[in-house]
Amino acid sequence: MLSRRSALAALAAPALPRLALAEGDARPSITVAVQKIANSNTLDIARENSNVGTRHFACYTEPLVDTDWITTLRPRAGLALRWERVDERRVEVALRPGVRFHNGDEMTAEDVAASFGPERLFGGEAGVAARVPPDVRAQGRAVFPGLSVEVLGRHRLRFVTGRPDPALDKRLGHRIGVVVSRRSLEEAESWLAWARRPVGTGPYRVAEFRPDNALILEAFDEYWGGRPPLRRIRFLEVPEVAARIAGLLSGEYDFACDIPPDQIAEIERSRGFEVQGGLIANHRFITFDKTHPQLADPRIRRALSLSIDRASIIEGLWAGRTEVPRGMQFPFYGGMYLEDWPQPRFGLAEARALVRAAGYKGETIPYRLLNNYYTAQTPTAQVLVEGWRAAGLNVQIQMRENWTQVLEAGPTRALRDWSSTVFIADPVSNMPSVWGRNGSHPATGEWRNEEAFAAVEALETEMDTGRRRAAMHRLLTILEQEDPAYAMLHQAANFTGKRRAIRWRAAQSFLMDFRPGNWDV
Amino acid sequence: MLRFLGFRLLRAAVTIVLVVSFAFVVLRLSGDPAQIIMGADAPPEAIVAFRRAWGLEEPLWRQYLRYFGAIVSGDLGRSMRDGRDAIALVAERIPATLALTIPALLIKLGLGIPAGITAALHRNSLIDRAVMMLAVAGFTVPSFVLGLLLVLLFAVQLGWLPSGGQEGWRHAVLPIVTMGIGGAAVLARFTRSAMLEVLGQPYIRTASAKGVPWRAVVWGHALPNAAIPTVTIIGFMVGSLIAGAVVVESVFSWPGVGRLLVVAVANRDLAVVQCILLLVAATMVTANLVVDLLYGALDPRLRQRTA
Repeated sequence: MLSRRSALAALAAPALPRLALAEGDARPSITVAVQKIANSNTLDIARENSNVGTRHFACYTEPLVDTDWITTLRPRAGLALRWERVDERRVEVALRPGVRFHNGDEMTAEDVAASFGPERLFGGEAGVAARVPPDVRAQGRAVFPGLSVEVLGRHRLRFVTGRPDPALDKRLGHRIGVVVSRRSLEEAESWLAWARRPVGTGPYRVAEFRPDNALILEAFDEYWGGRPPLRRIRFLEVPEVAARIAGLLSGEYDFACDIPPDQIAEIERSRGFEVQGGLIANHRFITFDKTHPQLADPRIRRALSLSIDRASIIEGLWAGRTEVPRGMQFPFYGGMYLEDWPQPRFGLAEARALVRAAGYKGETIPYRLLNNYYTAQTPTAQVLVEGWRAAGLNVQIQMRENWTQVLEAGPTRALRDWSSTVFIADPVSNMPSVWGRNGSHPATGEWRNEEAFAAVEALETEMDTGRRRAAMHRLLTILEQEDPAYAMLHQAANFTGKRRAIRWRAAQSFLMDFRPGNWDV
Repeated sequence: MLRFLGFRLLRAAVTIVLVVSFAFVVLRLSGDPAQIIMGADAPPEAIVAFRRAWGLEEPLWRQYLRYFGAIVSGDLGRSMRDGRDAIALVAERIPATLALTIPALLIKLGLGIPAGITAALHRNSLIDRAVMMLAVAGFTVPSFVLGLLLVLLFAVQLGWLPSGGQEGWRHAVLPIVTMGIGGAAVLARFTRSAMLEVLGQPYIRTASAKGVPWRAVVWGHALPNAAIPTVTIIGFMVGSLIAGAVVVESVFSWPGVGRLLVVAVANRDLAVVQCILLLVAATMVTANLVVDLLYGALDPRLRQRTA
């Protein structure tokens, strides 16, 4: 029989505060509203190699080498306690003992070997390896070219590459290099079943995954890094930004991700809410198709870069919350960062002179554009076009629906937007995959430069830091000055709305860190 | 009767073939699923591997023949996003969508028809003007605007209802109301104009002149004759039960067929899109068939003509 008291309690239950307290477990549960949980409907970051997947993967799976995403962006001990370079092709790793997977097994070198082997990344002809999808295999080969792993003991391994690799130790911190339970790979009824519930070592384990809807994680109390601060995390897919903000302000969500800069003031106008976040390890730039007749002359490409008023874009469209980098590199590269490399300049007079010298007669330069795929993409494009017009360049925006239409070869492909994210503290994180001989831009046929390819190869194989720095300098000189491949816009930024009472720091990445030490109320 | 049914079924089959073919051509010519699903930053070799795995490197005509052959043999294919069976993927979303669209349909019928009748019976009165003003407002405000307004009022300002998601009945209230209001407005306008047309007919005047009570005239003579255009609109509404909540499901983060369709089209996930289109076409064709049969039941002249 339903009593009046229980009926009233049932009616009032939904109105209880968001941080529900479970009986016997005082830790809060939270809801994080995201635009998208996963593009591929899977949770293996090697398959879901995307910004949206980056948001949550580190909650349940961890890379072999950890990265301090909140402050220094430098590698630090995680599942690997120590790593030591043996020679130009080999790195030895000592694992942290006593680390448990979500299935209760202790992590050993065998699990790491399977995670970096055919069973998970590279695929094979038989057994578990035969189930690995072809695109995962390709991702594995692209990030860990020619890698093999030798087990030296229960907690010791050696990583070996086919050719000298100066960044091998750093690659061990790449996001697709997460460690998963070998037994879980072998026992899963299919690759998809495993990839929907990967068994890792993270502070939270996957409790439920409803594709295109919700991902529910529960605290894994045997986590090696201490008891997780949250009982439950629910990532909820809320595609509309207005709905995410409304849900945050109404108290349904504790976090709302992907907040556009023009909404920051609106959220912070409500007492009790704030927007966190800022620069992330991603560059936004405009790329050039130098096979287009109007862009064949490098002076036109230089003029396009010179006539970009980056300061106005950052102030007007980003609320001043991002900055212009010193070329396609990041300070956290450490010894590989060229601190004296100049920021791109704004110089309309110089741009006009270059346009005149190139004999440009006002022919149309098409600019293929997606509708705000990137934050503030369309308004940025409108500002750019006006700047180019002031320099005497006739650029016309052509809206496109998806990347296939943007990348399609043809007479209307000249300018387009692009961005590049780095995952490890070294230029090999993105330079080969974008500008190398087999990189994305040479693959589309928009830009090729043999000397640049040689510089990229030097970055990938040269062991001497001085010579690598020289190669990086040469590469940037070609890419940004001599034979421009792109015009840098700014560093990307990412913003997350949250309740002010929650003491939590956003990472310099899309990744959300809910480990012990980054949560308090 | 059999000839009538056979002709309509044949017409439905041709419609479905055209829909499937059109969707294939448009989706495959306007985007590469590999590029879209793998993401902009995917290495070129991963894109190539994906294309090869899904047969996207074959000539388009061969892909079409392979795809069409599979449909004819009952195989609607697998989602390119995660390899799951497309039918299973769509089927598991149907209950969520029906949980919104059926109550919304009841609101449309329960509000729209009485409002339209009332307005017609009080033509040019204050009641008529008030009902029509609300109907025009409900008809012209797009559902995503109405949805967000309701969220601002009932979720953000008053805190009575959740703004989105699918956790329980409270989460369904705002999307149902959003859809219900718009549909009720449409029905009210159609019902009013149908009723006005019927009320001006000679047989209504005759019945009144014979001394039949006005209530009996309305129920016995006006309403059945005004039902035909209204039933047509209701048929469309029933036909869109499966995929008629695309916008509302997106605004309220409701994981139904509509949102699946949006995601599948954006990803050029052909098998899933085709599966939904087939389902929508089948629902629409069935609804139209039922409407055709209802015409006969409502209008004896049509029944005699068909016989």
